[in-house]
Amino acid sequence: MGLFDTILGRTKPVQSNLDALFGLPSAAITLQSASGMTCSGHAGVCFKPPTGQGFTDMEAEVVSLLSMDGGTGISRSEDSFGYTWLVVEDQDIESLVTRVHLVNSSLSDAGWGPQLLCSVFGLATLPTDATAATGSDDAVEGATVGAGAVVPSTAYLVYLFKRGTFYPFVPTGHEQRSTEEEFRLRSLVADDLHVESDLDRWFPLWDLPVG
Amino acid sequence: MSTARNIPNDRGLTLRMFTTGLLLVLLYGAVIGILIAVGISYAVVLVFAAALLFVQYWFSDKIALFGMGGRLVTPEEAPQLHGAIDRLCAMADMKKPKVAIANTDVPNAFATGRSPKNAVVCATTGLMRRLDESELEAVLAHELSHVAHRDVAVMTIASFLGMVAGMVTRIMLWTGLMGGFGGGGGNNNNNQGADQAVLVEMAVLVVSVVVYAISFLLTMALSRYRELAADRSGALLTGQPSALASALVKVTGDIGRIPTRDLRSTESFNAFYFTPAIAKTGVSISTIFSTHPSLDQRLAQLAALEAEMGRPS
Repeated sequence: MGLFDTILGRTKPVQSNLDALFGLPSAAITLQSASGMTCSGHAGVCFKPPTGQGFTDMEAEVVSLLSMDGGTGISRSEDSFGYTWLVVEDQDIESLVTRVHLVNSSLSDAGWGPQLLCSVFGLATLPTDATAATGSDDAVEGATVGAGAVVPSTAYLVYLFKRGTFYPFVPTGHEQRSTEEEFRLRSLVADDLHVESDLDRWFPLWDLPVG
Repeated sequence: MSTARNIPNDRGLTLRMFTTGLLLVLLYGAVIGILIAVGISYAVVLVFAAALLFVQYWFSDKIALFGMGGRLVTPEEAPQLHGAIDRLCAMADMKKPKVAIANTDVPNAFATGRSPKNAVVCATTGLMRRLDESELEAVLAHELSHVAHRDVAVMTIASFLGMVAGMVTRIMLWTGLMGGFGGGGGNNNNNQGADQAVLVEMAVLVVSVVVYAISFLLTMALSRYRELAADRSGALLTGQPSALASALVKVTGDIGRIPTRDLRSTESFNAFYFTPAIAKTGVSISTIFSTHPSLDQRLAQLAALEAEMGRPS
């Protein structure tokens, strides 16, 4: 914020940086080969719904657009802080990222970029007994989970729109997080993603609606 | 420069704030000119006042927290408060301030600290008890806007002159009362030098009283404009002007009902408050003596913003 804005007491709403999302597929491949973790196929976009019919209409448009293109599920929920979550499901990481980007860019293009808080991508550990059944080599190929396999997320990558950065979030129970696991994840994805360097901004997201 | 959904900046507000600031700067210039013309003897006062203000500025977070009985809280102690502030800061891309809670039933919140890095946002338990989540969030967004606008620094600098003038007045009155205005007690009838000294001292006294009055009014005006600016930025950040409006109505109504006696101790902290804690029963204080704009004015601005956002795209 410039001196002039300080003197006049005003702030510019911060626009969102959307492009860094596309580093995610390569990070998912790295993660899978290094730790056996992969994208769980769930991602959520979190935003603060502003007042007014204009936004409600646009949100409905985005939802119908997403359900039209033949993808799997999309659901909407509200959290205890009054933020809205659009949760997208897609087992293919590339198309998951594309769909999340579609939500983001629709909101941003309509002028609601400042309302975007974060996008969250679920990570899950591949079940080892399942890989034994299908052959361990197949499972490692490509960052996808076999169709129909519902794996609940145990860790998350949070994308901060305003910073254009990611941070890992590993909840371990009621309002508890594993910092150790988060640091491990950070070191794994650091080459592929721009990780948030200011640890103060790694805020917890309890009770995530992202499966 | 336009904001979300092309909501324009409030030109009138910007203009009024700029004019007030300009008048303050002009007053500063005039006073420094007069000081130089009279002699440098008041440099001591200036330095002393500057030192005082520096202390106030540098330790503003600790002073205000101590004065209000605020206590810094960890995310584990106040997950809702921390969570709301975390999210607002992430949306506004600003550094998270420290979070404190003051254990008093007076519903209020304040932000303090000389820079966004040292900022503290404090809410009272009375506020958290009375407001629902979206209202509390609106109040926090208002306080975060104060932090982003660096209002503590701006108001400290703006109030510097008034403080100097107030000190000069007090010093003059003290020395005048004790020394009988330059010792001209009647036994030195022929001493013209003493008479002149009395005249000069009287002139300085009058000037400093006038300067104090003008700078007081200007500082109050600036404070009101900055409150409106924080309302505006806060409402744009959450996208829900009505939540802030309803919080204002709840908090103001509550404050009005609380007896005046209990509130006296909190009055000196009004400048950093969400709503002033002065009970306005009986006499209606003219708005020009107030640090905060009237409730009607704040609600009108928020209603206009709400209408602006509600327009279909």
